[in-house]
Amino acid sequence: MITIEKVSKSFPGVKALDDVSFAIQYGEVHGLVGENGAGKSTLIKILSGVYPQYEGKILFDGSVHHFYSPHEAQTGGIATIFQELTVIRDLSVAENIFLGREPTRSLGLLDWNVMREKSREVLQFLDTSLDPKETVGNLSVANQQIVEICKALVLNSRIIIMDEPTSSLTEHEVDQLFITIRRLKEKGITILYVSHKIEEIFKICDSITVFRDGNHIGTVEKEKTSTDEVISMMVGRSMNMMFPPRTTRQGGLLLSVRDLSRNGEFEHVSFDLREGEIIGFAGLIGAGRTELARALFGATALDEGEIELYGNPIDHFAHPNRALSRGVAYLSEDRKGEGLMLELSIRENMSLPILKRISPYFFVKGNRERELVQSYVSKFKIRMTSVDQIVESLSGGNQQKVIISKLLLTESKVFIFDEPTRGIDVGAKYEIYKIMNDLTLEGKGIIFISSELPEVLGISDRIFCMREGKLVQEFTRDEAEPEKVMKVLAAGENLVGGDAA
Amino acid sequence: MNDLAGKGTIITGFRNVFKVREAPILIYVVIMIAVFSFTIDRFFSMKNFEIISRQITTIGIVSVGMTLVILSGGFDLSVGAILSFAINIGGLGIVFGWPIWMVYTFMLVLGIILGWINGFLITRLAVPALIITLGTMNIYRGITMVITKGVYITPIPSVYSFIGSGYVPFLFYAAVLGIFTFVTLKTRFGRNIFAIGGAEESALYSGVPVRRYKTLVYIISGFLSALSGLILVGKSGFVQPQAGLGYELNAIAAVVIGGTSIFGGSGTIAGTFLGSVMLGIILAGLTMLAVNPYWQGLITGVLIVFAITLDSLRYLKR
Repeated sequence: MITIEKVSKSFPGVKALDDVSFAIQYGEVHGLVGENGAGKSTLIKILSGVYPQYEGKILFDGSVHHFYSPHEAQTGGIATIFQELTVIRDLSVAENIFLGREPTRSLGLLDWNVMREKSREVLQFLDTSLDPKETVGNLSVANQQIVEICKALVLNSRIIIMDEPTSSLTEHEVDQLFITIRRLKEKGITILYVSHKIEEIFKICDSITVFRDGNHIGTVEKEKTSTDEVISMMVGRSMNMMFPPRTTRQGGLLLSVRDLSRNGEFEHVSFDLREGEIIGFAGLIGAGRTELARALFGATALDEGEIELYGNPIDHFAHPNRALSRGVAYLSEDRKGEGLMLELSIRENMSLPILKRISPYFFVKGNRERELVQSYVSKFKIRMTSVDQIVESLSGGNQQKVIISKLLLTESKVFIFDEPTRGIDVGAKYEIYKIMNDLTLEGKGIIFISSELPEVLGISDRIFCMREGKLVQEFTRDEAEPEKVMKVLAAGENLVGGDAA
Repeated sequence: MNDLAGKGTIITGFRNVFKVREAPILIYVVIMIAVFSFTIDRFFSMKNFEIISRQITTIGIVSVGMTLVILSGGFDLSVGAILSFAINIGGLGIVFGWPIWMVYTFMLVLGIILGWINGFLITRLAVPALIITLGTMNIYRGITMVITKGVYITPIPSVYSFIGSGYVPFLFYAAVLGIFTFVTLKTRFGRNIFAIGGAEESALYSGVPVRRYKTLVYIISGFLSALSGLILVGKSGFVQPQAGLGYELNAIAAVVIGGTSIFGGSGTIAGTFLGSVMLGIILAGLTMLAVNPYWQGLITGVLIVFAITLDSLRYLKR
């Protein structure tokens, strides 16, 4: 039995795991579920030696094991198959399986025969027809995953952690993977199966552990529970306190899109946004929401679809500056890469999109700039020493306020906020919600994308559920109960049917 | 906080010209002048400073263009090749007996065109600027050598010497420094360059026309390389195909020694000026000490590595 005892792990500003204790029986397939930010990845990284520093203990049959590196964890019998596979595409199957532990003959020469022979053995055990000499880059994702599993088997791993293993598999491949998992189980290997997808968890797991907000909510046996119970454990019920009060007020039509599609990212997305409205886009990571936002903003091209802005049909924006000049602003989920220039000052960051307005004849009017920036800095109470301070030295919440100020300076009417509260503390989150609320009072419309269900439900007037690139269902604020929405999001197939939006 | 901001404007105004990172270089330059003055007879003389100032102008002008390129997060290894192409191909005008204004215009336009080609390729291909300009450097030099067959254009009419005589080169250099200090600090274009170099995607998402401005940066670099070529021709009195050889390394050295981040997004023209002065003084000092010229390349290389190490240490601290 593997016992996780009072494990905690903190990052600056966040407690990722808070006093977590539960047990995994040997030889079972143990499911680990929870929303984004629940602490699943943190636990995986602790178990696999990526995070050597944490509080609490991890015991194997009562004796403490602490892994200080991934290598130690592997020799200790724990293999992890991450969502992003770690195979080397240019090497062969056999070379990948023995990567870093190549068998050698005298003089350190590679022992190809042993490598091929042993590779063939494990491949046969998994009942696949892969050729050890094949280059891994030529294989499907599913088969690359098999190679990773073989790697774990060659290491004689007792525990295999699988992180979202089905995220890029087809339905048929998922079935194949489940057959493989059962085979591993027969061999006595313990599997920790981490996933968002409730249906899969119920198909393959023997017991299920639920995390929420870094806490262990419960561990249940599959036979003694139901999907509804697990979903309600995942979403919890502590969501009244954290949001500013909101009254829905709808004005004229701001934005209306029909049948937006971009190959491989999203298809036939249609929705309307009215003045004074916040529409929430709920979905799991990879559902196509950010891709949709980027295309709408002109950062990527659309394959098809019609867009109406303020009642007039418009061409798709060819560049973000077209969108900004028509009053459509986008706050990216990637604050550091797509939002800020960390080495520049608050002032320089904030005035960037409006330089044209404040610099007639190409010369930036310093006083006008300072005035505008100062007004937003005071309005949002950004904590700083001067507007010339570089933004890198600000806290996450204040950085986010700088970006929001920057977008507000453009005097846009349609705002796309993509994960605006990611990685910032609770107090700053509340302030961001409040800013969004105030914006709608001024008649602006907000498209709000978030992977944290409680906040989507907490401040949106309407909620769109997006899954695998499609809008699958729309809820009004009153209809949207966490369990109902989570059920739609986490479903493996199109349970609700049709393109409801 | 308000009165603090009031006091700050003078200081920040000063800082804008000599951002904090330039102060140490200024000190190094002063120390170096002092050391050479004590160890070398006649180092501290107007005559010698005039020689040094004339020496640093041509590479100095190229370095200003290089500063813009590196600030924008790019690289331009083709500056020396553009210089050579501009004066050699443009110099055919001299052979044909064109009037001087036509020859100069032709040379500068060639610099602009070659710079534009760099910018076009860099903004369209997903290949680092370093690699692309490594390629164009060889292409531009190759074309120059094929067309000129390595032959000098000499003698040339004496009107071409005016631009390279006395303090004229330094006046050009001062003008270029002044204009681009102003451009980087006070104009929309300058601001956008810093933004692009700081985080290109962030700039794009803030509505900055990234491609257009990046292309413009290489055009400016090409133009300044050609301008530097005109002065070089004026100083030497002939046009030679090997002109500008190694300028890219010296220009990059001046830029990074001057405190501009090799990753883009932060730096100043003033710093690059100090970097150029420092290189000029070192080379002059070594020459007067009769040190084997082979040492010069070695010392430039060491300085580059040293400056880049300091720069990347700032990043590692994150």
